[in-house]
Amino acid sequence: MNLDWLDAFLISGLFSVVVIVGLGLLLHLQLGLTRIANFGVVGFFGIGMYSFGVLFTKVDWPFGDFWAFLISLAFGTFVAGLSGLLVGWLIADLDEDGVLVGTLGFATAVAILATTEDGLTGGARGLGGLRFPYDVGSVKADEFLWLIIVSIVVALILLYVWWVHRTPYGRLLIGIGGNEPLARSLGKPAFRAKLWLFAVGSAGMGLLGALFGVMERFLAPENLGIDVTLAAMVALVIGGTARAWGAVIGGFLVIGFFDIIVQSYLPFPREWYGQAIPNIKQIVFGAVLITVLLFRPLGILGDMRRDKLMRRVHGG
Amino acid sequence: MVDDTQVATVTRPQIQIQNAVKSFNGRVVVDIDNLTLGDHPIEGLIGPNGAGKTTLMRMIMHSTPLDSGTITLSNANGDRDVVISDLPTHWMAPHGVVKSNQVIMDFDKLTILDSMLLAVAKHRYEQPHRILAEKSVYDANVARIHEYMEFFDLGDPYRFAGSAGEKKLLDIIRCLLLDPKFLLLDEPTAGLPEDLTEKVMETIRDLAAAGTSVVVVEHDLNVIWNLSDDVHFMAEGNVVMHGSPQEIRENKTVIEKYLGEGHV
Repeated sequence: MNLDWLDAFLISGLFSVVVIVGLGLLLHLQLGLTRIANFGVVGFFGIGMYSFGVLFTKVDWPFGDFWAFLISLAFGTFVAGLSGLLVGWLIADLDEDGVLVGTLGFATAVAILATTEDGLTGGARGLGGLRFPYDVGSVKADEFLWLIIVSIVVALILLYVWWVHRTPYGRLLIGIGGNEPLARSLGKPAFRAKLWLFAVGSAGMGLLGALFGVMERFLAPENLGIDVTLAAMVALVIGGTARAWGAVIGGFLVIGFFDIIVQSYLPFPREWYGQAIPNIKQIVFGAVLITVLLFRPLGILGDMRRDKLMRRVHGG
Repeated sequence: MVDDTQVATVTRPQIQIQNAVKSFNGRVVVDIDNLTLGDHPIEGLIGPNGAGKTTLMRMIMHSTPLDSGTITLSNANGDRDVVISDLPTHWMAPHGVVKSNQVIMDFDKLTILDSMLLAVAKHRYEQPHRILAEKSVYDANVARIHEYMEFFDLGDPYRFAGSAGEKKLLDIIRCLLLDPKFLLLDEPTAGLPEDLTEKVMETIRDLAAAGTSVVVVEHDLNVIWNLSDDVHFMAEGNVVMHGSPQEIRENKTVIEKYLGEGHV
């Protein structure tokens, strides 16, 4: 396969946009519909990444790479889902401040564990040995194929999230987010629903973490910084928290603009790339976020339109 | 007006409240030794402000937890009694105990139809993997919903509830859609125009005639006198007496504490 036309920077830039969009989509179910501000996105992402990486590299697998890879992937997803169930159980009845502190604390704990448990994770030195479950010739081709595979996964997440708006489940989440006491009085088990939402959402975030780890090939605690959570949140808020396409629009506009155009194509002096650009990026993210919240608090796409949506769904 | 001796056979759902106490910051708001609701099809609950009516209703729904005591639901059709004060709030509706809200409660992102569908949807359809359940929920309930929409003249179901009155009405309709066995109404007609008040009262009468026990808290006493078969008078956290509307409105204590002289 001739991929000369394709820039290696573009592949990695697009890849991070796609992963952030995926995280933003899962966050949309929690924040946009159910009004739970999960600031621990990177924690679930990291649990999935490391559970996958440790199992895949530390076990002496008796069968081929492909099956070992799939089993480890399932394991990472499962462990992340389990941690989501646990965190969900701890925070489901807390108010917004409690949820913020609880989820942030969880993400910090994951990053610290990745550093201190160096027998398993390689600590600050990192964990190598991850590889693609295939080899199509060149590194570039391998990465390109991985970008396509992960894009398909994120497209499926988008399809699910988009469809949830059209189901009784979506209505339940919006109801709980809008008025939890009223939902309870109508017989809706709000606590259990939030618990499962957290479990399923976190499993998805863990899967994305594992897929991200494969592209990195090398897991280090630096991957578990709060900037992952913030990127997903910025993408979602700017695109529109209440809309399924919000994370996609926001992700490509904001993260895409920075990670691809600014970082790879604008003629900044070379010495800026180490310190200055990441800092400028955070500043501009913050400024964009404040501007959007001031002038269009519901993001570019605005509020959900249940009146139009339901009319379409019921064919009215 | 002593307690009627209990009728041997329970004919409709009843709620028994025993030794129920609730205090806020050391001030006892409700303290009831023994009270049975549901001896009559429609019972009114009246009393001065701060008597504990709304708190008592909330205690029954367990949205305000009890300090001590038990609340039991006994069913008409021979089902086992349920100690509902042991159950979380979201189990009340499945047991048929439903309450409308005194203050306006609504889902502001959901349309009128949405919020009714949310009320009627069985929880097994509301799971993350039930992605094709919308049609079943809609088809099974749309006829009933349209009946209410038409009866209360609500117009287009695919819009958001506008006025306070409309939200209040929607709150009551959601309760009706849950097929209550025991319906508590906390000031159901406050904020409703007269024609709708009439319609709500008519619906409540039909419901009670069909076997549901209804308890109404209301400050509009005309509603109480017109609707109730029996009236409980509550003061200082306790139900001090009950009797027919006629007896209550002529009672000296009630006049002194609540109705005032000159009330007809």
